[in-house]
Amino acid sequence: MGSSQDGIDRIDGTDWKDEYSMLTKADMTATILANAEVAPEHYLMKLAVSGAFRDAQPGQFVMLRPVGRGFPFLGRPLGIYSLAENGSGARIEILYRAAGRGTKVISTLCEGDRIEILGPLGNRFELKPGMKTAVLVAGGIGIAPLVFLAERLSAKATPEGPKMILYIGARDSANLLGIDRMKSFGAEVRVSTDDGSAGYEGPVTDLFREDLLSFNASKTEVFVCGPNPMLKRMGAIIADHPIRCQVLMEERMACGMGACLGCTIEVRTPTGVEYRQVCTDGPVFDLREIIWR
Amino acid sequence: MALLKPRTEVKIGSLVLKNPVMTASGTFGYGEEYAPYIDLNRLGAVVVKGISLEPRRGNPPPRIMETPGGMLNAIGLQNVGVKAFIGDKLPWLRQFDTKIIVNIFGETLEEYGKVAAALSGVDGIHALEVNISCPNVQKGGHVFGCDPDASHGVTKIVKSATDLPVIVKLSPNVSDITEIARSCEAAGADALSLINTLLGMSIDIERRIPHLRNVTGGLSGPVVKPVAVRMVWNTVRAVSIPVIGIGGIMESDDALEFLIAGAKAVQVGTANFVNPKATMEIVEGIESYLVRHGIGDVNELIGSLRTE
Repeated sequence: MGSSQDGIDRIDGTDWKDEYSMLTKADMTATILANAEVAPEHYLMKLAVSGAFRDAQPGQFVMLRPVGRGFPFLGRPLGIYSLAENGSGARIEILYRAAGRGTKVISTLCEGDRIEILGPLGNRFELKPGMKTAVLVAGGIGIAPLVFLAERLSAKATPEGPKMILYIGARDSANLLGIDRMKSFGAEVRVSTDDGSAGYEGPVTDLFREDLLSFNASKTEVFVCGPNPMLKRMGAIIADHPIRCQVLMEERMACGMGACLGCTIEVRTPTGVEYRQVCTDGPVFDLREIIWR
Repeated sequence: MALLKPRTEVKIGSLVLKNPVMTASGTFGYGEEYAPYIDLNRLGAVVVKGISLEPRRGNPPPRIMETPGGMLNAIGLQNVGVKAFIGDKLPWLRQFDTKIIVNIFGETLEEYGKVAAALSGVDGIHALEVNISCPNVQKGGHVFGCDPDASHGVTKIVKSATDLPVIVKLSPNVSDITEIARSCEAAGADALSLINTLLGMSIDIERRIPHLRNVTGGLSGPVVKPVAVRMVWNTVRAVSIPVIGIGGIMESDDALEFLIAGAKAVQVGTANFVNPKATMEIVEGIESYLVRHGIGDVNELIGSLRTE
C-alpha cells in the first residue's frame, strides 16, 4: 500500500513536545513489569515506557487503557508515583486504588501484558526557587502524585532545603501508603487515621491546622491531594492565611488532552465564576480558586 | 508487481476531499489538541467544534460518563464563539492541506443565519455543517432537528446566508430520519451528515442521582454504530444528495460499513478520545482494504451493498 512513506512511520525518535512531532505507536503502549496488590484495593503498577516520558514532571498524569478489551472503553487518568530513566526509555510507577469498575479491570493485568498509555499529560506543580519548606498533605490515594513530587524535591534538595513535611491521612492503618518512600526522601511524617489505628484519630486536616501558624508563609509551599471533602476543608483552613497552596484535582475524563471538554471544574476568577479543564488547565490548581459544590 | 495506490478522493457536492475520513465535531477541538499525535494533512477534512454567535461556557459538571461500549456527554456546546474562532483558531488550522468544515448552531433561526454569514468568505473555510439538534428558544425549546418544518427553515436560512456548501447534521432522536432528511434536501442542503448522538441517561444508584448534572446526555461510541449504519442506509435511499456517515467508528472496518451502505464519507468522533491516532489508522485501513480487494477507486465501493 502506498502510505508507508508518510505520517506515523517516519517519526521515530522525535520529542513529543516538539510542536509538530507525533508519538509513535510504540510510545502509546507500555509493558507491565509488575502490578501487585500492596494494600486492600490498592495496586502498584510498574511500567516500561518510551523516552517520551522522561520529561514527565510532578503533577502530571497518564491515561491508561487495557489493550483489546471491551471494558473499560475510556482510558483512566492516573497520577505518576515515580519515574526513573531506563536506557533510552523510562520506567514509571503508578500507585492506584481499584475503586471503580475500570480500575478493577486494570488491576487484573499481569507482568508482561501491554497497556495503552497516553502522556505525560497536564500541567505540573509549580516549584518556587525560594521555597524552604514543602508541606505535603495527602488523603488516601492522594499520596500517589505527592510521592513523585517528593522524589524530585529530594533529588534537587540542598542543605538550605526545601525541608519536607508530610501530613497523611487514611481510613485506617492498612490504607496508609507511601510512608516508607516519603521517609527515604527525608520527609518528616505526621499520620492520622479515621479509626485511630495509626497516629492521630481524625481528619488529617486537623494535624495541618495545628501547625499552620508555625509556617513562614513566604517560604513555604503547600501541596495537597485527596478526596474532595478533605480538599474543601483545606480550602477553609487556609482561607484567611497567606500561605500558598497548590491542589491536584481529579475528575472523570474521556481524552485527557483537552478535546472532550468533559473534565470541567468551576473556579473563582477576578471576573467571576469560570470553567477550567482539569486535563489541560490542571490537574494542578491554586486551592483558593476552586469552587466546591 | 508493484501495487498502485488506490484513488481515495471523494466529492461531497462541490467539496473535494482527498479521502473520505473526517473528524466529527466536538471530538477534535479546533485541531491543535491532536497535532502532537497525527498529521492533519492526511485528513479528508477537519470538522471543528460547534461554533455559535457568542461564546458559550457549556453545562455545569459532571459532563461525561462512561457507559457499556461508549459514553454519555452533556458538554453543552461550549465554544469560543465565531469571532474568536476566526481570529484565534482558524489561522493555525489554515496551514494544513486539508478541508476545514465549520460546525455551526444557534438558538434562533436568526442566529443560525448570522453565524453562517459571519463565516462566509473567510479564507480557509470550505464548508459549513449545521447542527440542528439544538433547542429552539423561540419555540419553547423544541429541538429544530426533530421537526421537518423547523429543519427546513434552518437549512433555508443558512443556505441564503452563505455560498459555502452546507451539510446538515441530523439527529437520530426522531421517529423517521428520512422525513427530516428529505425536508433538508428540499430546502437546498448540499449534503447530510448523520447521526448525531442518541439521547441517553445513566444513574448513580448509591446516591440516586443522575451521573450527569444535565440529567440526560448524548450517547456515542461503538454501541451506537449499528443504529447509525441503519439510519445511513435508510437515508441514502431517500435522498439524492451525498450522505456522510457518523456513529461509533473506531477502526477502518467500521468506516467501510458506512461506505458500503452508501455514505460518501465518514466522520470519526469518540474514537479520537480513546485513540488519538484513530483517524490515521482508518485512512490507512481503508487504503489497504481497497488494495486487498483490487478496488482502484473508493467510489466503486460506496453504496456497493448487496442485499439479495
